[in-house]
Amino acid sequence: MKTEIRIPFGPQHPDLEEPINFMFEVEEEYVKKVSVRLGYIHRGIEKLAEERSFLKNIYLVERICGICSFAHSTCYVQAVEELLEIEVPRRARFIRTIIAEMERIQNHYLWLAFTAKAMGFDTLFMYSMRDRDHILKILELITGKRVNYGLNTIGGVRRDLPEELQPEIFSKLIYLKKRAKKYKELCESDPLIQKRTKNIGILKPKDARKLSAVGPTIRASGIDDDVRSIEKYAAYDEISFNVITYKGCDVFSRILVRIDEIPESAKIIENALHNMPDTPTQVKTPKEIPKGETVSKVEAPRGENLHFLKSNGTEKPERLKIRAPTLANLTALCKMLEGANIADIPVIIAGIDPCIACAERMIFLK
Amino acid sequence: MELKILLESVIALLELFLFPGFLFLIFFSFFIEWLDRKMVAKFQNRYGPLHVGPKGILQPFADILKLLSKEDITPESANEIPFKLTPLLLFSFALTPLFCIPIISNSALITFPTDLVIVIFLMSCIPVLSFIAAWVSTNRFSTIGGTRLALQMFGYEIPLVLALVSPTITTQTFSISKIVEWQMGNLWLFLIQPIGFAIAIICLLAHLQRLPFDMPEAETELVGGWLVEFSGKKLALIKLTKSLELTLAASLITSLYLGGPSFLVISHPVIYFLKIIVCVFIFANLKALFARFRIDQFLVGAWKYLIPLAILQIAMTQILS
Repeated sequence: MKTEIRIPFGPQHPDLEEPINFMFEVEEEYVKKVSVRLGYIHRGIEKLAEERSFLKNIYLVERICGICSFAHSTCYVQAVEELLEIEVPRRARFIRTIIAEMERIQNHYLWLAFTAKAMGFDTLFMYSMRDRDHILKILELITGKRVNYGLNTIGGVRRDLPEELQPEIFSKLIYLKKRAKKYKELCESDPLIQKRTKNIGILKPKDARKLSAVGPTIRASGIDDDVRSIEKYAAYDEISFNVITYKGCDVFSRILVRIDEIPESAKIIENALHNMPDTPTQVKTPKEIPKGETVSKVEAPRGENLHFLKSNGTEKPERLKIRAPTLANLTALCKMLEGANIADIPVIIAGIDPCIACAERMIFLK
Repeated sequence: MELKILLESVIALLELFLFPGFLFLIFFSFFIEWLDRKMVAKFQNRYGPLHVGPKGILQPFADILKLLSKEDITPESANEIPFKLTPLLLFSFALTPLFCIPIISNSALITFPTDLVIVIFLMSCIPVLSFIAAWVSTNRFSTIGGTRLALQMFGYEIPLVLALVSPTITTQTFSISKIVEWQMGNLWLFLIQPIGFAIAIICLLAHLQRLPFDMPEAETELVGGWLVEFSGKKLALIKLTKSLELTLAASLITSLYLGGPSFLVISHPVIYFLKIIVCVFIFANLKALFARFRIDQFLVGAWKYLIPLAILQIAMTQILS
């Protein structure tokens, strides 16, 4: 008698914010095989990008994902600036760094809340969301919106960061660093969190490299792969920071990596605010972009974000290809899920910080 | 003579239906559920029910009313008669033991020398009925939820019965009302048997399927668990059962360990209400504090720690008495 049950997970499920379909073959509460189906939220962004001018595409690319929107727009704008071969003013690069790090803090608090919910820890979910509101308030003060900031433009940033906002930013950052420290103490001392996340979702360093995992997922397996320190885009060549890695290779290490990245980002923001240069915030750029193709990489909060841009000398791009970090982590996720307990599935899926809306592009399978 | 019998039977019927009978217990369980939701919300730094009625006190009532007006769907492959019957049975099994709890005075509406045994039996039938409801729903998620429920019973059933029965060794009686009377004359039992008190609270949390033991209806994993196929009136009855079970659990702890409606020499329902509020506070505190256990971790913990401690409590009671 076959004792295997096939359980569908998604596309609609209370644990998932976005539709994705996993088909698990389960035997007695352990997963034997996983198969993934994407495509439920494909919006045709790459095709839409070919019909709009380079400037209008910024607003399209921003809306690929609500939470890592600034990373996508920075990546795209950097690609265009590389084709134009212009130098972005230093103040604009510093502002881009500050907003990118604030987005990272905001993403990590949101992620902590959803992982706590996946574990059944409602109280930590409520507390994290309450703290996340503080950073959203600062972002609203600077840019006018809580998500999809509309700050990047080809050649710089559209708004300046006024000096009057700096005291409030500093005080909120101190509060957020304190809260991150408290959550780290909580995770390290609470036996129930450790029971639910230690030795769950193991990804050995060799597998992580082979399956091209990115972001905190691979940094929790001991490999210090961070685009900010490799490519040194925006202002990262002038601001020094630490790349956080842990050797645990399980969900617990991923939690620790992300919680530790919050005070690190806060330090980068404070550093940038203290050393803000006094230059204009944007340069004028022509409408037509010269012929060429380029690849631009950015460290989104979830991992390495990659944009490939090909231009044929007109106002509209010929091809824009986006490879989001979650797409790179999906194969690693399938490997982590084999042999896992059913009750651990939501925790493992939450551990890679899935953003399926980012990942839905055209994929060719051979 | 006949008039006297008539008057007595009318009063008994009024007591059964109004106070402290059906209507009172159902509305009292609404109040307890509101209290629980408000307390958990305050622990989590948010408001809880706020709009419906003053301070949201009518929210559980509004939830039940809304569910009664929704469409009631029976899945095609479900076994019809058990599917329609189990919510009713669950509701009655949760309501009946409450008649044996003393609320207004030291003796309850229904007392007889072995009413604690009947209460424990009816309480233990509830998870079995939930398992039948899950099995009969023929849905993948409810099957897993039902099996988890049955597995959970393996873990907490023994220490729960041991913890609920250890007061009877000291008081030499199986009647809840007599236990409350005994506590009026002596110390409250939670001072004499603290281990049993702690184990009773933990096992009742597992019986109620509340956090940290709510694996059977873990919404993030199982889309609702064993009650996923119920909707409309059946779901309203199941929700009502859950509130009544919470009231029953708090009442059992109050009567068996905290002295029921008695305080020194007086016996008044207000004292009972205050003690129930303390019990709900403990339950709400434990719900807000913890994450969810996995079913195998819970079973290992139950057999490693809860059962030996419960046996230790009984041994200590025997030695000391």
